[in-house]
Amino acid sequence: MKNENLVSNNRIIGKEIIRYLILIYWSLYWLLNSLDKIIGGSHFLFVGKDRFAQVERFFDSLGLGNPIFANVALIIAAGLEIFAFVFFSGALYHLKKKNIDSSRSWFFAGIVLTLTIFTYFSIGDQIFGHHGELLEHAIYWFMAILSWIIFIYIDKIQIFDNFSIKKKQILIATALTMILISVATVSIFWHNHTSFIERTQAVNTVKIDDNKYKIEFPFLAGSKAFENSIAKFKKDNPTLKINYIYTAPTTLRLGFSDGLIIYIQTDNKK
Amino acid sequence: MKEKTTIRYFILIYWTFFEALTVIDKIIPDVYPYWVGADFYTLFVKLFASLGITNPIFATIALAGISSIEIVVLVCYIFSLSNLNKGKHKSSEQWFYRGVSFSVLLFSLFSIGDQVFGERSNLLEHGIFLIMLIVSWVIFKYNAQTEERVIKFSFSKDIKIAFLAGTFLTLLTSYSILDFSKSTFSNKSQPVKGVEVVQGVYKFDFPFLGDKFVFENTIKAFEENNPGLKVDYIYTAPDELNSKKKTHILLYVFTEQKN
Repeated sequence: MKNENLVSNNRIIGKEIIRYLILIYWSLYWLLNSLDKIIGGSHFLFVGKDRFAQVERFFDSLGLGNPIFANVALIIAAGLEIFAFVFFSGALYHLKKKNIDSSRSWFFAGIVLTLTIFTYFSIGDQIFGHHGELLEHAIYWFMAILSWIIFIYIDKIQIFDNFSIKKKQILIATALTMILISVATVSIFWHNHTSFIERTQAVNTVKIDDNKYKIEFPFLAGSKAFENSIAKFKKDNPTLKINYIYTAPTTLRLGFSDGLIIYIQTDNKK
Repeated sequence: MKEKTTIRYFILIYWTFFEALTVIDKIIPDVYPYWVGADFYTLFVKLFASLGITNPIFATIALAGISSIEIVVLVCYIFSLSNLNKGKHKSSEQWFYRGVSFSVLLFSLFSIGDQVFGERSNLLEHGIFLIMLIVSWVIFKYNAQTEERVIKFSFSKDIKIAFLAGTFLTLLTSYSILDFSKSTFSNKSQPVKGVEVVQGVYKFDFPFLGDKFVFENTIKAFEENNPGLKVDYIYTAPDELNSKKKTHILLYVFTEQKN
């Protein structure tokens, strides 16, 4: 009798975890989307996405360059997103309080708002001709519907009988986990120790012809590495003038093992 | 509010708009005021040309055939939505099933085409839409077979708090959006200031609003401010050098002293 109760409780815990995770995901999703609009632009510790610039450019491509159109579209989206966040948070609160019925109602309101948002975005994507975003928003729309289905039918799904693990399995799993974590951590720190310098370090040029040079950048190289490489090239070759820089397209690179490759075309200074 | 009927409406509204706009995109084949869309004609002509079929009649026939199926799908969805609105659930289900069947056929044709033309990213896109349609139909049909649940939101304390919090946050966000718009809109025309990063090489970090006019203004302003310099060459930093999401575009201007 005692064991049956335990099994039953474990089942409930397992199913509630899925509901909690769904609610936490959507609450955080809309919270961070809303924060992105409140913060606006890139700041220290928050880059986000410049939605105003993105939406303004979309409207401008329609011939509606006045920022009022982008502002109104963004405010409508922000209002829907904020209310979706509020309803998902309310569902989370009611789930915590074990008011499953209320939690479902609040979650449903959040899902209705989420579906409205993604339908609204998808309409825009087709008008603006942005089929990449259309796919992205369609997937989110689909995820919202599936989340709702899983949330309401989770009780009918068999999850775990219990969460207990045997002592021997715990020991082996812990030992294996610790070994793999140690190996991965040492590898990551060693790579950081040896390679971080590549982020800014100048890269040597290779002469491939009378007036053509090649620079193969490591994956970590950023704009500083490019600038330092150009400075070094100019310093090493004071008689040469850079005429042209050709960026090798990805199709000329070896699969994913090559980083950025540039070719420098030069001329002798007069 | 009936929970499952509402979901049915959302599924139908989404797919009806999806097909309606796809059809409009075929009717309006180019870029016009208030409509950009995608240029499917050019895409089809290029795809057929890659097969060695350069006569545009083949691309035109293929596009017309696809548009015809899309119109059939749209009509099915409109009838389904209309019947759902009249409370004729059985009829709505039948029309949705017809629409989904034609749409699945369409995405199957697209997928075959994607493989023939070697367009793997489009193959993934069409595969995702196909599975979304099938699952939408499963939800539409089988979800309705379980008991309907009616949601009644009364103005209880928690709902009032939610509305107050939502309204306050919306006002705060609206203020922030308008303020950001006002303070950054000048980036749409204002020239960008360059920084000399290597002797004779200037870096221009363009803001997200920067477009072709900003570029033109920037070069013009640079030449006016540096009358002794001649612009030799402009290099656009590729994505690998600009992986941070903070910058829209990085330009390097290579200069030399005028003789």
